[in-house]
Amino acid sequence: MIRIDTYPTHTYGEFQLRPGKPLPFGATIVPGGVNFSIYSRHATTCELVLFRKHESEPFGTIPFPDEFRIGNVFTMIVFDLDYEEIEYGFKMDGPFNPEEGLWFDKTKILMDPYAKAIGGRDVWGEEPDWDNTYQHRARLVYDDFDWEGDRPLETPMEDLVIYEMHVRGFTRHPSSKVKHPGTFTAIRQKIPYLKKLGINCIELLPIHEFDEFENSRISPVTGERLVNYWGYSNVGFFAPKTGYAATGKFGMQVDELKTLIRDLHKNGIEVILDVVFNHTAEGNENGPYISYRGIDNKTYYMLTPEGYYFNFSGCGNTLNCNNPIVRNMILGCLRYWTAEYHIDGFRFDLAAILGRDQNGAPMHNPPLLETLAFDPILGKCKLIAEAWDAGGLYQVGSFPSWGRWAEWNGKFRDDLRKFLKGEEGLKDTMMQRLQGSPEMYKWQGLGTCASINFITCHDGFTLKDLVSYNDKHNEANGEDNRDGGNDNDSWNCGCEGTTEDEGINRLRKRQIKNALSMLILSQGVPMLLSGDEIGNTQFGNNNAYCQDNEISWLDWELLKTNKEIFNFCKNMIAFRKKHPVLRSNIHFQNRDYVGSGYPDISWHGQKAWQPESSPNDLMVAFMLCGKHAKGGTVDDDAIYMAINMHWEMHGFELPKLPNGVNWHIFANTGMESPEDIWKIGKEKKLVDVDEILVGPKSIVVLVGR
Amino acid sequence: MEIKICTQDEVTRIEITGKLDSITAPDAQEKIMPLIVPESRLVLDMCNVSYVSSAGLRVLLMVAKKTAQEEAKTVLSGLSEEILDIMEMTGFGNMFKNYKTYVEAIDNILKDES
Repeated sequence: MIRIDTYPTHTYGEFQLRPGKPLPFGATIVPGGVNFSIYSRHATTCELVLFRKHESEPFGTIPFPDEFRIGNVFTMIVFDLDYEEIEYGFKMDGPFNPEEGLWFDKTKILMDPYAKAIGGRDVWGEEPDWDNTYQHRARLVYDDFDWEGDRPLETPMEDLVIYEMHVRGFTRHPSSKVKHPGTFTAIRQKIPYLKKLGINCIELLPIHEFDEFENSRISPVTGERLVNYWGYSNVGFFAPKTGYAATGKFGMQVDELKTLIRDLHKNGIEVILDVVFNHTAEGNENGPYISYRGIDNKTYYMLTPEGYYFNFSGCGNTLNCNNPIVRNMILGCLRYWTAEYHIDGFRFDLAAILGRDQNGAPMHNPPLLETLAFDPILGKCKLIAEAWDAGGLYQVGSFPSWGRWAEWNGKFRDDLRKFLKGEEGLKDTMMQRLQGSPEMYKWQGLGTCASINFITCHDGFTLKDLVSYNDKHNEANGEDNRDGGNDNDSWNCGCEGTTEDEGINRLRKRQIKNALSMLILSQGVPMLLSGDEIGNTQFGNNNAYCQDNEISWLDWELLKTNKEIFNFCKNMIAFRKKHPVLRSNIHFQNRDYVGSGYPDISWHGQKAWQPESSPNDLMVAFMLCGKHAKGGTVDDDAIYMAINMHWEMHGFELPKLPNGVNWHIFANTGMESPEDIWKIGKEKKLVDVDEILVGPKSIVVLVGR
Repeated sequence: MEIKICTQDEVTRIEITGKLDSITAPDAQEKIMPLIVPESRLVLDMCNVSYVSSAGLRVLLMVAKKTAQEEAKTVLSGLSEEILDIMEMTGFGNMFKNYKTYVEAIDNILKDES
């Protein structure tokens, strides 16, 4: 059967046209042609501009006939377009009146907000043609990838071990020894490594199309070019970063990324995307016209009564997330990545902004967040909020969740860091953090999985630097070391930066192991920063957003140098995965509700059962009763963890186990490798031991079986 | 793009010359698909193919799917390293066996028979 609508009804010059369909927005390949549809409430006219790939001059400009417009949507089918070889844009005419929030300029060529692929930065770092008037160029995509039966993995949240990774930084360093460094393909080549480490979820720093040349400049200190390396500045929300694909120069980034996701899924590894819906790359009043500003500025951005851009993002503008049009775009975007790319979850950058109304005021029940929480297509997706913004809204522990949203637990990070370096007065707080922060989440009816636990992330020191520097060293960023946070809660262990002092280096290694132990064995969902498992350094830079060089790139040589840390981390992850009692999705009740004779969690000190019996408050010990694993539905071993962040050795009396059950030592960070950690099932039995000695700033983990 | 088809000893050689892209893909698909019938033996000789675009890869995937469905046999020969690499990176790497030369492809397709 041939469809009636495969025939044109109009002609314009050499082009054959037909009224289009208003939905879906964007450009869609239809029989015989391409359907274009774009919203603008305030534009008076709109033109479609067609280019051959890479060419600066268009081969056609077609005004949308007025009779093709439906409501505020310009729509048209153009027949016989070579969908692989064209790039398209729009020109919009309308009032230019910034005080009213209207910025129309009919000379600008605007990118489709719904572009599924974007050209113009096809190869990372390749100097663009700055004279080209159309820099970020919408392209068409054929959505027929062969998934071979794949779908999102739906791993239970409590079983996740997240690994936060920068696509380029992960393999760009020559030591990675991959064929196409810094690309999606290269991550695929490293899947065996990720499996060996044992993580089961990667969280990618932004992979939506962005412009690495945004705010690009030369560092006055190093003379190197500084770029937008992290990518927290969206050009397009529906398109993958072309320069992250080895096949980007052939326009095949979509298939390359899908192939990576398919293979990760085959290996049991989920993919979470870091999404940036708080602002765009168009910046403030002085920024470029890329798309939204010229299409409908007033719809897409939050504006002050005088027409200026609100800057809750700290990046010049703020996306108008709770405008119904923008809300639908965000929802459409997340649905697209979930359905088309099989993405398993999203981490929302500066998510507090998503709960602000169109004037910037925080709302009680933000419609966008509620919509995402209940959306059917996102129904099994992980939703994770960075629950603060640059406008001072801090919602860790109070982010509107509807039982669906998890949070980056910033308090976990801050408290763990302070406790790690030996700050006193945190014992009670630490008891909360180790249990999945019930004081923050239980009252909301949320379980442990609301808490994404982390000590380090892309933003701030790496774990190695956290134990090697008291202060940030961001001189290479070219801002006189003013940028980056000062509240690092770090401790250099006695010397700032690299040292030959063996004592200090041993202590640093121990501190890394201590941090990893507390992170991985806490209830909640652990997130590791890529590279921390091998002691990767950024040389004290705690804000490497602009450093596309060895400061940011993961140095794979460290896998040899710091094999001991890798081994420790790997075994700690394996231990978490082995023991369901470490992965409860509900908070502990501090009582025995299965009749095992032990509470689900019990606290201890120098004397068993007496958490207060310690000479200082840098000692915490707890025991998990295996009979209470998964709410008493699963039988697991008992686990005991003694944390001594004091600078002296202390004895901890062990709680007695039932007859026939013995304590076995799994980890002791106070011991040198290989006695620092034991393989699962090979833990060393302790015979007739009533008390264990925990060395200065050390942690001991026992398993009772 | 040009396609030459010849059959000898029950093996059909499909020699493609030029670019396999969105312009030429429909033509290639139209010519190749009908040749895939139960027990057919095809060699897609691609030593003169300079580029395979996304649309071109999709034609190859369609050929692979139909080959499996019809219980036929299709192999490739002469693909350049670069194109093989692109196929691997975009998830089209496991569709067919590729042989360096047409002669090698013929040898193997017949050897598998015996």
